[in-house]
Amino acid sequence: MHIMEGFLPWQWCLLWWLVAIPFLVVGVIELRSIMRKDRDYLPLLGVCGAFIFILSALKLPSVTGSCSHPTGTGLSTICFGVFITSVIGAIVLLFQALLLAHGGLSTLGANMVSMAIGGPLAGYAVYRLLKNTPVNMYITVFIVCAVADLVTYVITSFELALAYPAQSGGVIASFSAFFIIFAITQIPLAIVEGCVLALVFKYIVALKPEILIKLNVFPEDKITRAHGQEGVGSR
Amino acid sequence: MIRNHKLELITLFAVLAFIVVFLYVSSGGHHEFSGSDDVGSQKISELTGHPLDSFKPLIPQYEPPSGEIEATLFALQAAFGGIILGLVFGYWLGQRKSSSAT
Repeated sequence: MHIMEGFLPWQWCLLWWLVAIPFLVVGVIELRSIMRKDRDYLPLLGVCGAFIFILSALKLPSVTGSCSHPTGTGLSTICFGVFITSVIGAIVLLFQALLLAHGGLSTLGANMVSMAIGGPLAGYAVYRLLKNTPVNMYITVFIVCAVADLVTYVITSFELALAYPAQSGGVIASFSAFFIIFAITQIPLAIVEGCVLALVFKYIVALKPEILIKLNVFPEDKITRAHGQEGVGSR
Repeated sequence: MIRNHKLELITLFAVLAFIVVFLYVSSGGHHEFSGSDDVGSQKISELTGHPLDSFKPLIPQYEPPSGEIEATLFALQAAFGGIILGLVFGYWLGQRKSSSAT
């Protein structure tokens, strides 16, 4: 989903940077306050961040005959919300822009808006919708992660379409052209990512339900019940 | 031990289905499996009518000199994540073991 360095006019680069910066600022403030409150959150933050690192390094082949990578931002969105996720996502994108020439510093703003902010925002909306309903927790995690992944690529398509409207058909025509390249490729990846992150969430529930309860990730009775079912015995 | 393995099986199935789809797609037709980033960039040059190499970086950037070096850096990124992951789950598992032992 990276927009390559040089492939976005500077006006758009500036605009997306301006959109991204407030999220990063709030994210850093939230991160500091959550760390000061309780060091127990640090390992969970590590797991969420680790998955963004791992999944966004894996470029997988897809049905359209091109390769793309999952984003892994869904888990962090569920546990810590959009702002903190945007900071972790920004770190990964910065690494890839500086060392790998995947995306660049000028397009970093646009790439942050799609992967670190837009995707997580959409995922978060779904999460809030499903959080207090009887829908199974793991299914919720699956849907949130798949949505966060997919919407990332929809937003990339949108950013490119705005900057490069087609001569005939304008923004909508070029949006559908980019949508086919990015979003259709992404559908199978989003499904696999959703499954994997739901599985990881299951292990967190089995090992550390108290952190999830403390963060109020899901209602306490849901977590306790699921923990009872998984029942990690130490013997 | 974790008793219910339904989710593991579903995930395994999803990964297997993914591999089967890949094998099917790659067996027919000529697919390059290049990155969607590059395909997207090509589309931009197609839409604007400017050739690909007319897009110059706005901010100069480092590019890995070869695919091997790029692969190394991506592997490092994934390895870093993997180390953190193993560390934390090991830490939690150890915490749980020692708290139930006393």
